[in-house]
Amino acid sequence: MKRIKDRLLPSLAWLFSLLVIWQLVSWYLLEVKETTLAQSKVPYIHEVVHTLFTYGLTLLQEGWSTFINAGAGLLLGTAVGAILAILMSLSTWAEKTVFPYVILSQMIPVLGLAPIIYGIVHDENWSRVIIAAYITFFPVSLNMLKGIRSVSPGSLELMHSYAANRWSIYWKLLLPNGLPGLFNGLKIAAPLAVTAAILVEMMGARHGIGVIMLRNLYYGPSNTYMFWSTVVASALLGIANYLLVQLIERIVTPWQPAFRTKGGDN
Amino acid sequence: MNPAGIEVKNVSMSYQSESSEVLAVKEVSLSIGKGEFVSLLGPSGCGKTTLLRMMADLLTPTNGSIEIAGQSTRQARLSQKYGIVFQNPTLYDWRKVKDNITLPLELKKVPKAERERKALELLELVGLEKFKDKYPWQLSGGMQQRIAIARALAMEPEILLMDEPFSALDEFSRERLNEELLAIWKKTNSTVVFVTHSISESVFLSDRVFVLSPHPGRLSAVVDITLPRPRTKEMRNSPEFYKLITQIRDSFEGS
Repeated sequence: MKRIKDRLLPSLAWLFSLLVIWQLVSWYLLEVKETTLAQSKVPYIHEVVHTLFTYGLTLLQEGWSTFINAGAGLLLGTAVGAILAILMSLSTWAEKTVFPYVILSQMIPVLGLAPIIYGIVHDENWSRVIIAAYITFFPVSLNMLKGIRSVSPGSLELMHSYAANRWSIYWKLLLPNGLPGLFNGLKIAAPLAVTAAILVEMMGARHGIGVIMLRNLYYGPSNTYMFWSTVVASALLGIANYLLVQLIERIVTPWQPAFRTKGGDN
Repeated sequence: MNPAGIEVKNVSMSYQSESSEVLAVKEVSLSIGKGEFVSLLGPSGCGKTTLLRMMADLLTPTNGSIEIAGQSTRQARLSQKYGIVFQNPTLYDWRKVKDNITLPLELKKVPKAERERKALELLELVGLEKFKDKYPWQLSGGMQQRIAIARALAMEPEILLMDEPFSALDEFSRERLNEELLAIWKKTNSTVVFVTHSISESVFLSDRVFVLSPHPGRLSAVVDITLPRPRTKEMRNSPEFYKLITQIRDSFEGS
């Protein structure tokens, strides 16, 4: 109990100081310096929090729509990324063939790609899913490939000594060995998926946090607290997605060094 | 001819380095009998590990041939005639101790119930029953290596190949594991080829010690270890033990 307190206290102190500084800056800009649009730049936190609670239900509903699409996109991106990683790990020939296109895909700006995808599928949900997948498959694929490649020569040699076939080597050695890499990629990808979904929403959707964000941006200074609320809500969505991935990582790969507990009484 | 023996005939192994061809093993011939415990002893660069890897069919000799129980090394590997223990335990982190031991059985599609039974039997053999549901990293280095030995024995191989299995351990663990290994060897009746750079370890364990010299790796002496069996801790202090160590050391200087 005491240890949790010791660890929590510094971060809480930090958070508190940051909030106080923010409030002071906000007050300074508004009351002392009388900057134009002061509240749009650095709004009072209590006002934002107030709006956050007043429109909580709306934000939750729109946020959920974003979250579900981002999540679906992340799943799709993970599947594609993992398949590509396995494909590239099969041979250097496969890697040389696939890798340039993987890199190339990341050169196309999403802002340009989103309207194209929308034009093809004509469905805002599918557009969000596809764009989120498009952004997330890259870090997943690269990190998982690195994970598979990081297998120790000794572990492979052991499999050879058992005359194991290729399927067994993948299933029992290379894939488990690639899991930490997969999760590393996923942790980068999880917040990105949310950002991607929001981006697509801003280009003309009916639901999602991005829609109200854009709307309140257009309405101008009178809606500044609502705009900031959507920013906070988006950030929370990204964090939630990240934490979800981390939780799954802990359940699936409890053997990773970071999660190890002292257990041996040697 | 001995059915579970190993015949190494005029084996050479060279590999291409950046600038030149390096001869790692030069014209080694030796014969190991069924149930025998032999050591391949020598300093680094003497080709002892290379020789063991060729027996395991993890490397292919440039010249010469190796037969294991009358088969080619490839056939012997495919039919799991040998179990191998490396310098590192090479346990898979994501598998519990018992699942590490049964990995080779899993690969051979042995039914689960049979695997479980075998795992318990092997854990008992290496004295680690209590740890069956632990993960490898929860065990000490010595325990991990005992698990690696249990795993090598899972397929009940006729031959056990060991590549400096205890060299990463402290002196105390190493001596204890030496005694345990002899007990296991006695129970399993297997042929053991043990690679080491420790003279005392090779003397304590072996029936015969093959002494190898470096640059290029070649067989320089074969020493019969005349110490009686079972070997005991006390023998490490006997004059005969020291005499054998001196004899082996002299054979190095002579080469």
